[in-house]
Amino acid sequence: MTDESFLEVTDVSKWYGDEQVLHDVSFEMDRGDVTVLIGPSGSGKSTMLRCVNRLAEAQEGSIRLDGEDVLAPSTDVDDLRREVGMVFQGFNLFAHLSAVGNVALGPQRVLGLSKAEARDRATDQLERVGLGNQLDSYPAELSGGQQQRVGTARALAMEPKLMLFDEPTSALDPELIGEVLEVMHDLVEAGMTMLVVTHEMSFARAVADEIVFLDAGRVVERGPPEQLFENPEKERTDRFLDRIASHD
Amino acid sequence: MAGATQPAAIRRRAAESDLSVGRVLLVTAGALFWGWLVASWLNRWLGGVVVPVGEPFVRPATVETALATLPGLAAYAEPIGFAVGISPEIARGAWLTIVITTVSLFIGFFIAVPLAVTRVYGRYSAYLSLGYTELLRGTPLLAQLFVLHFGLNLGAYVPGALSGVFPRNVVWVAILGFTLNGAAYQAEYIRGALESVEEGQITAGRAIGLSRVETIYYVVLPQGLRYAIPSWTNEFIYLIKYSSLAAFITVPELYYRADQIAASTFRYTLIFAVTGLAYLALVLTASKLMEAVEARVAIPGLGADRGR
Ligand SMILES: Nc1ncnc2c1ncn2[C@@H]1O[C@H](COP(=O)(O)OP(=O)(O)OP(=O)(O)O)[C@@H](O)[C@H]1O
Ligand SMILES: [Mg+2]
Repeated sequence: MTDESFLEVTDVSKWYGDEQVLHDVSFEMDRGDVTVLIGPSGSGKSTMLRCVNRLAEAQEGSIRLDGEDVLAPSTDVDDLRREVGMVFQGFNLFAHLSAVGNVALGPQRVLGLSKAEARDRATDQLERVGLGNQLDSYPAELSGGQQQRVGTARALAMEPKLMLFDEPTSALDPELIGEVLEVMHDLVEAGMTMLVVTHEMSFARAVADEIVFLDAGRVVERGPPEQLFENPEKERTDRFLDRIASHD
Repeated sequence: MAGATQPAAIRRRAAESDLSVGRVLLVTAGALFWGWLVASWLNRWLGGVVVPVGEPFVRPATVETALATLPGLAAYAEPIGFAVGISPEIARGAWLTIVITTVSLFIGFFIAVPLAVTRVYGRYSAYLSLGYTELLRGTPLLAQLFVLHFGLNLGAYVPGALSGVFPRNVVWVAILGFTLNGAAYQAEYIRGALESVEEGQITAGRAIGLSRVETIYYVVLPQGLRYAIPSWTNEFIYLIKYSSLAAFITVPELYYRADQIAASTFRYTLIFAVTGLAYLALVLTASKLMEAVEARVAIPGLGADRGR
């Protein structure tokens, strides 16, 4: 196969103890694609995301990113994570560092930039997410939406080639969701490759190239949003989408 | 109604104005105490430039005569005069108490941090550091000092460079004992604080490519050590008082000096009341100092009581 996809997840399985939480999960993405993972709570969405940057270890199957074997024992996980940014549901900002400090830490300590260079880069990224006026604010002084934008800037400052979003808006008050989605929209426009777990169906519909529906660790169905949302093949998908819609 | 928030603010303001009187008194007392201490030490080190070494800055007899003329204080004239008389010995002993406490605490800190880190994040090393901590916390401090001094006679092995720094080499043995013991307690306090740093921040550190050790160093420790300050201050305060156990291995610190005078004058109550006051002054200094440090390094936006 000559034209390998940018990200190829093939038959990935994972167990926690005796419990299998991923069953032969497969999907692939091209560079610049946006794939949205949906599924009920406990279906393995976070786990799947974490297998990609090896915060969790898949026990079977293969994950290839830009031609590299992610799961190979010889792969340096820290090198891998430099190239894969992650944004968390709970923001997970470093509480003792200002916004700029949060974003500059990686460039300075991982990429080896000088303090000044790292600060410049952090400033650029914070401006990009609309926080140019909050550079020196600390996480506890920021709203949830602002914190999540710092979290996004922190990942972007590493200049990743793939961004993982794990329910980035789920912990936010409804009125703050928009500002985070807006940043994500901008990233899509800029051509970033994004693998997103979200319950924001209108966002998914608007930007996703493909939706992957997971249930109980299995891919039930996947396809472009129009197809999956309008004409789901599986009854299970239909029921899940109905339930989500009734919550909106 | 905004009434729910108002009383707290008013109470706080009232407390602040109350505090300001207390504060002035406390600061004045502190300044007097430390002024007297430092002046006493300087006088001794400089060979008695102000008063002959070993003599108080004012003669006890002068104090007594002056107080005796005051109707209300006449009854206290003699004890106060006596207290003035022993003040040079108190200052002299306090020097070693302070040195032993701060040096032990300082060195112990650098043992405690790795102990705490391995305890929280180590695998097999966690058991090592657990063993160390339990052994030192689980046996009497005095027994540990006795082993180091009478058992191993470590005073005889003090290296040349250190020997002679203090009037007796046994001071180093005491410092070693308090360092090893204090490290175990400090490690416990620090461990608790490290555990209060949210797991998610460690994940986030790993996710940007920091190694485990880097994440601990750049993310966990800067927060954990801040959160540890209030409880760590307890260890500081305990150590000031526990350092009196050094007297039992003949270290001439504050308690030892007091005991010596008491043994020859039999004025136990008065002597230990005065000594107790000196300890109290040291303890208050330590706790005020650490409060200031805590406020200084507080993370903006987080309450000072975060992590307690
Ligand atoms: N560290 C872990 N140890 C053991 N089991 C885990 C761990 N993390 C997740 N699991 C289990 O794996 C399964 C999948 O969890 P996962 O967090 O991936 O689901 P999810 O789809 O992200 O759910 P949610 O929508 O609630 O975030 C669940 O049954 C969960 O209990
Ligand atoms: Mg999840």
